[in-house]
Amino acid sequence: MGSAAPVTPVIEARDLTKVYDGAGAETHALRGVSLAIAPGEFTAIMGPSGSGKSTLMHILGCLDIPTTGTYALAGQDVSALDDYELAEVRRTTVGFVFQAFNLLPRSTVLRNVLMPMLYTRVARDERDERAAAALRAVGLEEKLWTHRSNELSGGQMQRVAIARSLVNDPSLVLADEPTGNLDTATGDSVMELFGSLNAEGRTIVLITHEPDIAARTHRIVRLQDGFIVEDAAIADAHVRQYGAGAIPVADDALHPAAAPDGDV
Amino acid sequence: MRFADLISETLYSLTANKVRSGLTVLGIVVGIASVIAMVAIGQGSQASIEQSIQAAGSNLLTVSPSAGGMSGPGARASGASVESLTREDAEALAGLSLIAGIAPAAQGQGQLVAPETNANAQFIGVTPAYAEVSGLTLTSGAFISERDDAANAQVVVLGATLAADLFGEDTDPVGARIRSGNMLLTVVGVLEEKGVSGFTSVDSAALIPLSTCQRYVTGSEYLSAITLTVSDEEQMDAAETSVEGLLLERHGIADADYADFSIMNMSDLMETVSTVTGTFTTLLAGIAGISLLVGGIGIMNMMLTTVTERTREIGLRKAIGADSSAISAQFLAESITLTLIGGALGILAGWGIGALAANLLGATAIITLDSVLLAVGVCAFIGIVFGYYPARRAAALSPIEALRYQ
Repeated sequence: MGSAAPVTPVIEARDLTKVYDGAGAETHALRGVSLAIAPGEFTAIMGPSGSGKSTLMHILGCLDIPTTGTYALAGQDVSALDDYELAEVRRTTVGFVFQAFNLLPRSTVLRNVLMPMLYTRVARDERDERAAAALRAVGLEEKLWTHRSNELSGGQMQRVAIARSLVNDPSLVLADEPTGNLDTATGDSVMELFGSLNAEGRTIVLITHEPDIAARTHRIVRLQDGFIVEDAAIADAHVRQYGAGAIPVADDALHPAAAPDGDV
Repeated sequence: MRFADLISETLYSLTANKVRSGLTVLGIVVGIASVIAMVAIGQGSQASIEQSIQAAGSNLLTVSPSAGGMSGPGARASGASVESLTREDAEALAGLSLIAGIAPAAQGQGQLVAPETNANAQFIGVTPAYAEVSGLTLTSGAFISERDDAANAQVVVLGATLAADLFGEDTDPVGARIRSGNMLLTVVGVLEEKGVSGFTSVDSAALIPLSTCQRYVTGSEYLSAITLTVSDEEQMDAAETSVEGLLLERHGIADADYADFSIMNMSDLMETVSTVTGTFTTLLAGIAGISLLVGGIGIMNMMLTTVTERTREIGLRKAIGADSSAISAQFLAESITLTLIGGALGILAGWGIGALAANLLGATAIITLDSVLLAVGVCAFIGIVFGYYPARRAAALSPIEALRYQ
């Protein structure tokens, strides 16, 4: 890599490919993707359906492993781990937020947020503290904590899901179309929440196909047909105002998009 | 996943769908309850049959007159009408080494006329040894003595029921006189109630000296049975062989197939009865076991449905870091919990049903630790076996596919 980052990147992927064995035909979902994301970045991955963005997200989230290429998450090479090791990495290093929230509907808000800690060895009283801290961080009123999650509005549910993604203090928060099931106003408030979490230092990668949403991040990675066709940093409000212009990126350019305050 | 968390998650999931969990548990309850109840009834009746044989004396050999082998020459219609055993035979048998007690007896019907009422009764002609060999005790008076037997004395010892029939419940009839045919019998004793056991009930019989019976009631020198007690229960078969040998010799019969008597060995009878009731118990338990199997299939069915319904939840749990073993542990814990709850309730229900049924059948139900342990073992086995496949299926789901599942 050209300029060595001063800190370990959260994501450092090189030449990722993913081939699915379909019925008779092979599907090349990723054809050589290289990407580096530094701690504290707020990145959107965009692309039309079939571009490989879901596949990339699964690999970045350690739900799947690449066919070839290497991927280091928070400094740990995870490109060839088995299912158990991947589960361990997800448990400690990744927080997921889904489009459909994926809360347990009959469980209370608190129980939903506590759930990731079932699989880590966190002491009981510490769990409650952490869950409370996460729920406060997403701005969910305390009186709602004992409500069943299916009694909440969509925006509240997504806040619960975000709180759940934070309780194990992950290095990376991966959000898959987090505003896809929300109306614009609620989506805005969720994006504000992501913005403020990022401002506190969280590394966030979100997958979206809405330019408005992507524009509220600091960097946009555009995928098409299994390649990264664009990797652009958005430095300031001025650029954001005019939208993330298509900024061509050299083939081998996997420079981490400088710091959020860097130049484009 | 911590054990406490596993338990808490399990109970949470099971109570999320109470009706379905309840019905599944019910399947196991029915299965376990029927196994426990059937085994309890089976073992209870086995024990009561064995107990009544034991009460009659398990060291008894009973020699009865009977026609020889099935195709023997001159075979008479029924054993009862055969006359072959005599008092002399009995005395000869007393000389055998393994024989401890010997009680020759003769039987006949007779009408008893008491001052107040009449009764038709069975006369049993006995010697003094009869009381000990048959395990009889007296509530009042004395048993028939050697002297009574030697003197054809006209004395009678009444069975408990017969005494009550003739003289009323509260009267002590000792000293009273009863007429029967040519005899004027003096009551010398009353037997304690023995209940229905063995093959003759002495409760409704009138015991008179053997010599008196032979002279006034049966009118013949033949015996209806010789009951022997064997000194060593382990040597029942040896004793039987020596009795048979001696009697064949005395009766001048060379081939045992043509013997004019038969010997019943209580320990053989006990074994036969045990085998029969044991088979019966196994059969009942086997039939009940089928319902347990059906209950187990119910568990599997419910767990498979649950796995399908909760596919997204499984995907989510995997995404947030649950590994395959945590997922399969969770589903396995659910099926084991269902079976254990069902098993515990089933044991209680089975105990209740067993006791009730036994009460109606006039037997006792016996719940042994064995059958409870068996039930618990079978439960755990069912929980694991029928829960394993659904749990494996849940654990094997790919998180990506599971999250996409609609």
